[in-house]
Amino acid sequence: MKALLHAEILKLLSTRTTAGLLLATLGLVALSVVANVPKVGDGEAPFSLDDPGLLAYVVAICFGVPPVLVVLYGTLAFTQEFRYGTITSTYLGEPRRSRVLVAKWLALFLASAVVTTATLALSVPFSSALIRSRDGDVTFAGHFWGVVAIGFVVLAAYGVIGVAIGALVRNQVAAVVGVIVWMTAIEFTVIPSFPDVGRWMPLGATSSLFQIGPSLGLDGNLLSVPVAGLVLLAYTAAAVALALHITPKRDVL
Amino acid sequence: MHDIELNGLTKSFGDLLAVDDVSALARSGEVTALLGPNGAGKTTTLRMLLGLVAPSSGAATLGGRRYAELSDPVCQVGAVLEASGYHPGRTALDHLRILTTAAGLPRDAPSRVLAETELAADARRRVGEFSLGMRQRLGLASAMLGDPGVLVLDEPTNGLDPPGVRWLRGYVRRLADEGRTVLLSSHALSEVELIADHVLVLAHGRLLRSSSLAALRAEAGVGSMVRTPHQDRLCAALDAADLPYRRTDEGLAVDATPEQVGELAGQHGIVLHGLVGTADLEQAFFRLIQESDPVEHPLVAEGVSS
Repeated sequence: MKALLHAEILKLLSTRTTAGLLLATLGLVALSVVANVPKVGDGEAPFSLDDPGLLAYVVAICFGVPPVLVVLYGTLAFTQEFRYGTITSTYLGEPRRSRVLVAKWLALFLASAVVTTATLALSVPFSSALIRSRDGDVTFAGHFWGVVAIGFVVLAAYGVIGVAIGALVRNQVAAVVGVIVWMTAIEFTVIPSFPDVGRWMPLGATSSLFQIGPSLGLDGNLLSVPVAGLVLLAYTAAAVALALHITPKRDVL
Repeated sequence: MHDIELNGLTKSFGDLLAVDDVSALARSGEVTALLGPNGAGKTTTLRMLLGLVAPSSGAATLGGRRYAELSDPVCQVGAVLEASGYHPGRTALDHLRILTTAAGLPRDAPSRVLAETELAADARRRVGEFSLGMRQRLGLASAMLGDPGVLVLDEPTNGLDPPGVRWLRGYVRRLADEGRTVLLSSHALSEVELIADHVLVLAHGRLLRSSSLAALRAEAGVGSMVRTPHQDRLCAALDAADLPYRRTDEGLAVDATPEQVGELAGQHGIVLHGLVGTADLEQAFFRLIQESDPVEHPLVAEGVSS
């Protein structure tokens, strides 16, 4: 398994997709910080500049987009193998396909930790600097450390789900378009329109886990943290089980 | 080194019977060619052998074991199934490093196979920049990483220029001469007749013939192509001598040696403008395939139904 994991990490590092994903993440995180640190005298912002929960809120908001990118990254990790035909040599090297799946999950687990670290490494100092420049209070207490921990858990779950989607929907275009449509158009429409339903959806549960944002219009309808965690775990487990069940039986043509 | 054995191998995709009860043997130290037109079931057969496609029934084994049961499969079997099995953004060296790492092979394996396939100078180039011939070589390099005793190649000459085909022939022949088992597929007999020891002819998913190339050549015999200004007189002479022939644009194609045809023409005082021997192996191959094709013989089908 160690050799397979090492090979999967080499696959991720030997193309430009990883660098592209990291750059996209950092760019969107920077935009999120700029958009969500309130200006002086902004009375409509959810958190004022002197609110001790402001830093945790801004960092939580910064975790709004990385799940979409990480699930796409996981999806690409598998669909690219089908697109370019490398799945043949992968399965010839390790005919036990469930082991290949596990190796990819572990690789994406590590990659998601890198993306989470990068998100925090940019969002925390950048937000802090911006808040201080506007004479606000930067506090690492309270929910901040919860946001950090949940960030790692959420992105790891999305990485695992992404790999499972890639294993199940082998057509890269269909898989990528499907993920984007689901996570942006469908979830972003259903969650604010039907919050009672939306909070049970993956991004709804994710929003509930963070509690303070991104709310996606779920204000007042959030699940409790334990329930949200179980919902996300259930989605992850279902994706894993389905991929493990179907992948070994499929013909590679 | 392992023999490859196919036992009643069958595969259906829905209503389509892609491979129908194929049983055959490919021996170590020999190059065995799996021949057949496109859609004959060659690739599906090879993929079943390599555990990529599950047979509907039957089994394919290497040294008595299914591919999935092999320990260290990369060290026992090398395969090249498609020239597109590479990420175009990856360098050749990275591609081989990934395979080496996954299989737990020595770190110097990539440089060894790159040198063997004459790709060492291009190791750090992205595969997207490679020609088709270079990709085929990289495929062979990938297959040889574990120095396997069995080599499985699907249409290895596809897209290769004549020097590339020549190089491949020499490389494959050398591997077989080292005692390895080589099973390669092709849609054209001419591409493999210089290196194959044994041929398996496949059409419509069925195995039509399993024989040595020498036996097939002897069976096919030798024909002649004749040009004469007195074609009708020669036809009459051929009819009288009971020698089959066909009229073609190039002249008369006769199922007899040039010596037989020349002597017959001389006996009847028929002037010939051209007389050449034709190796009938390719025609024998096509004839074998056409005879198995029900579409080519509608009258036979009607006769059966009536």
